[in-house]
Amino acid sequence: DFLHICKQCFILWLREKQFSLFFCEVQPNETLTNLKAESDTLKTKLEDERAKLHDVELHQVAEKVDGLGQFIMKTRRTLKGHGNKVLCMDWCKDKRRIVSSSQDGKVIVWDAFTTNKEHAVTMPCTWVMACAYAPSGCAVACGGLDNKCSVYPLSLDKNENLAAKKKSVAMHTNYLSACSFTNSDMQILTSSGDGTCALWDVESGQLLQSFHGHTADVLCLDLAPSETGNTFVSGGCDKKANVWDMRSGQCIQSFETHESDINSVRYYPSGDAFASGSDDATCRLYDLRADREVAIYSKESIIFGASSVDFSLSGRLLFGGYNDYTINVWDVLKGTRVSILFGHENRVSTLRLSPDGTAFCTGSWDHTLRIWA
Amino acid sequence: MSNNMAKITDIRKTVEQLKLEVNIERMMVSKAAADLMAFCEAHAKEDPLVIPVSSSENPFREKKFFCAIL
Repeated sequence: DFLHICKQCFILWLREKQFSLFFCEVQPNETLTNLKAESDTLKTKLEDERAKLHDVELHQVAEKVDGLGQFIMKTRRTLKGHGNKVLCMDWCKDKRRIVSSSQDGKVIVWDAFTTNKEHAVTMPCTWVMACAYAPSGCAVACGGLDNKCSVYPLSLDKNENLAAKKKSVAMHTNYLSACSFTNSDMQILTSSGDGTCALWDVESGQLLQSFHGHTADVLCLDLAPSETGNTFVSGGCDKKANVWDMRSGQCIQSFETHESDINSVRYYPSGDAFASGSDDATCRLYDLRADREVAIYSKESIIFGASSVDFSLSGRLLFGGYNDYTINVWDVLKGTRVSILFGHENRVSTLRLSPDGTAFCTGSWDHTLRIWA
Repeated sequence: MSNNMAKITDIRKTVEQLKLEVNIERMMVSKAAADLMAFCEAHAKEDPLVIPVSSSENPFREKKFFCAIL
């Protein structure tokens, strides 16, 4: 929402808790038509500049790399307990605990080794679309149709009512689609159906930075590995993946090659690239330094959307969870499919590699989570 | 009048954004691809799903079961 007082040289924007003052002087030749023409010229120039670097395909360069050996992964644990679709999950840094959230309004913390439930919280809304574990392992964040992101400290006392200590941190004007703690428990990054992303201080609930640029719902985000600095990538229903500077709020790079909603984005472990999964049934790899798409992971037989993607520790494997209930495993460099995994009885909605890379977890509309190793 | 001003402001922001994006430094795909490959190769040994570790080192593949004594 914004309040727009238009005079010749004065526009006041009201955004959440921030006020920004602009002085806008309209030059005589700056008509809508001229600006539109300039915008079109720049878009063509951007395509041309990107095309100049396209001297080779990634899979061609990767021809000399050894192929991967036989790939066998199976369901090793099944986590049952949600009463409806599992929408999101995240690993704790201790490599064994997992938080998951569901359409049933519940957020559950599991011990993945034993499959025991350690905590459960009932949210005031259904469709808890996002959840995240705090780096310390002492709290979880979650939200969804309530348009908020709330943080729950995890108590050692299993009988304590977690909902009593709930802290509301983020407020959007539409559903919360994703959330992630930054490298500490103190800040949370969120994305929303309201088309924006935002960075929040957990303690005060203050909005630290907002990120505007998507022209439709933002569905996913991922933070760059801490060594590569303060950026993150987001994907949305506008088919764009945007890379943002967390400090300035500036969009640094934007990629629009998918043909439908981008459901999931994940950085390559080096931070120099990221993968995306989309309703157009493809996953793609974008290299940030070449500033372009460098691989498409697709097959004619795969016609259902990819809901979630993650890399193995070395970046050689890309795991994709799909709406046709399967997981496809891709050789990132060669562009070929290494394996297809079956087990879920409905859409795979969320997928994440464990912190030590020995396993990955999937959540599904079949109400369960599975650990694969 | 004010609607026009809003459109001009929006499209001016788009033009400024595009100028930033056009002017970033870029690398040839061949070099970027070589770097991606080098990273994979350098970290392959540490990737238990690429170079499998023995079952005893993968906690989810271990055969023993955990029991909670109630």
